[in-house]
Amino acid sequence: MNVLRVSKWTIALFVLPCLLLYVCFVFVPILVSLYSGLLDWNGIGESKFIGLDNFKQMLFHDAVFWPAVKRTLMFAVVSMCIQIPLALFLAILLNRFVKKPNFLVSSYFLPAILSVVVIGQLWKTIYNPASMGGMLNQVLESIGLQSWTHSWLTDPSVAMYSLYFVAVWQFLGYHTLIQFTGIQNIPSDIYEAAKIDGAEGLKADWHITLPMNIPIIKISIVLAFIGSLQSFDLIMVMTGGGPAHATDVISTLMYNMSFLSMKYGYGSSIAAFLVVVCLVATFFINLIFNRLERKYT
Amino acid sequence: MKKNMKGILKLVMAGTLALSLAACGNNGGGTTGTNNGTDKANEGSTGGKKENITITFQNIYPDPTDPKNIIMKKIVKAYEDENPNVKIELDSLNTDQQKVKLKTQAASREVPDITVVNPAAQMKPFVDAKLFAPLNDMLDQNGLKDTFQEGILDFYSFDNNIYALPDGNNIGLVYYNKELFEQAGVKVPTTFEEMVDVVKALKAKGIQPMAIGEKDSWTGSFLFMNVLLRTNGPGFLQEVLDGKKTFEDPAFKEAADAFQNLIQAGAFQEGATSFDYNAGENLFKTGKAAMYYMGSWATGGIETSTINGKAGVFKFPTVNGKGDPNEFMLAPGSAFAISADSKHLPETKDFLNYFMINFPKETFSAKGAVGLAQKVEGDFKAAGYSDMAMEVLDMFKDVKGGDIAFDNTMNPATAQAHLTSIQNLFVKKNDAANVAKEHQTAYESNK
Repeated sequence: MNVLRVSKWTIALFVLPCLLLYVCFVFVPILVSLYSGLLDWNGIGESKFIGLDNFKQMLFHDAVFWPAVKRTLMFAVVSMCIQIPLALFLAILLNRFVKKPNFLVSSYFLPAILSVVVIGQLWKTIYNPASMGGMLNQVLESIGLQSWTHSWLTDPSVAMYSLYFVAVWQFLGYHTLIQFTGIQNIPSDIYEAAKIDGAEGLKADWHITLPMNIPIIKISIVLAFIGSLQSFDLIMVMTGGGPAHATDVISTLMYNMSFLSMKYGYGSSIAAFLVVVCLVATFFINLIFNRLERKYT
Repeated sequence: MKKNMKGILKLVMAGTLALSLAACGNNGGGTTGTNNGTDKANEGSTGGKKENITITFQNIYPDPTDPKNIIMKKIVKAYEDENPNVKIELDSLNTDQQKVKLKTQAASREVPDITVVNPAAQMKPFVDAKLFAPLNDMLDQNGLKDTFQEGILDFYSFDNNIYALPDGNNIGLVYYNKELFEQAGVKVPTTFEEMVDVVKALKAKGIQPMAIGEKDSWTGSFLFMNVLLRTNGPGFLQEVLDGKKTFEDPAFKEAADAFQNLIQAGAFQEGATSFDYNAGENLFKTGKAAMYYMGSWATGGIETSTINGKAGVFKFPTVNGKGDPNEFMLAPGSAFAISADSKHLPETKDFLNYFMINFPKETFSAKGAVGLAQKVEGDFKAAGYSDMAMEVLDMFKDVKGGDIAFDNTMNPATAQAHLTSIQNLFVKKNDAANVAKEHQTAYESNK
């Protein structure tokens, strides 16, 4: 299948630089980190080969590990099941009811270009206890909902949800933009034809927008999923995984193990686990969407 | 997609690469081109042009308004003027960044010529990996060794070699706001139980009793260790390491209980675990909290804050009638070490020698000489040091031993488990027996 009508060598030549970079900076480091996962190593001095002990410890004896995995997956679920539908809905509304939606779309997009550190500090201040000037709690108090006030980031039972919310808020505009662009590419004559057949408004969305937009939704879902598995910066800035591991996810746990506890080998085995989770999840997302695409397009 | 997945790893690798590139650049620039030509000139005459070299000086004084930063730049400038062939390149980072950067650099043996480490257990992995050059010979030059206080260098010595030179030596103290104490009608507590009562009295008046930056979990640990120092006396952790005691010792549980009494009395600000060190300290420095437990290094910052003149200090009191207030939490400071792989080892040693010789003089005149690791000559009072600074300096004279911080005694993994366990007490009550067990388990599994 030589569509380009050039020799395979030429193709290889053009692919080579990218391939080399990819192998050097992605593939090799992953292999190296898999190997370090088999070591008892503090990252600096002598290392000792201990086989699968790190993995055994991680999977069966570490009280912190599985809760962190659960929080990571919850993070992904929240982004996929709340953020994306919301973004799609927003995009549909914008497309239908707003005459010149570009300004609104750009404003929604704004948080996504801000540095996570800025976002984190901003929301930290908003979440502060009322006595420390926290806006959210002050608003709750002023409308008589004292009982709803929390120290949002330090109460282990709500801290993680506070973080989910910020992440959803930050990237909502980003996904809205993606969906909005997707919807704009759906030819308007389809809607006109549907209108004649009696499908309008939400009904038309359900039968036209949703199926036609599936490839775009897939992009959003994959981005949201991978992004939340790797969520690190936001948590580091806002809680550092604390109080007492209550907001640790896989990536922050990996960081804490590698650099603070100086168990580099153990940290690497956590990293290896993260890679595997990403691969498996991507495989399934692809599988599901390939089926959906075949069904609807 | 795959590219995205490995983002973290990529980032780490890219970071490592950038660091190693930077390090290469710094070291390479001076040597490669000039080596052959100038070596001869050096041998022949002292007046000949010397080889141009660059020394990388990693430090934790990034804030240009901080006196330490100003002092550092001043000494560096003076040295460069005297030695025009030497360029000192500053790599100024804040503490946490520096720790991570150094570990990354150490993993690829690209330690900068001069770097910063913490004492005892925290620097041991680096010394074990033979990353640092022994400084014994350099300490003998210009009488540098004699400028240091008695015994302080022991925290940086392994097998009779000294590997790092500290910039400070501090003790744990309770700072308090005299004005807020007056408002609540309370006096300086002489026992821990009184301190808990003071907390309650302040609280009743609507005054925030104590401030802490517990997001940086060492702050709570430092205070907890002082309670333990009272209930057990010095050397608890060493006894654990020697196998004479376990964390399930009654003294440890007593400390955990007393510490929780303080927390449960409402001593610390709401959401304390989301306040980092600076944010916590700022509560005290802006007069929003009445007490603040910290190392004496905080003195300078408090003096230059809005509550200057209203702040006083007291020694950490006895707990359940136990302990001696003259035993302090000792905090031998961060220290400068020289890379064993430095391409300009003699010159780097020479510079650090010059730096440390001038350090006490310059800090004294910049009014930052409270809690130095070196002896300071001069009349503090006459030099205009504040009353609080004088009080702190007097307390140094009362020091009859004590303990160093948890993470300076135990290995990093155990220390992290300890920090987590203590941080947890700030968000929920935990049985002292559980706290003890958490510690013991972590210690045993990370031996």
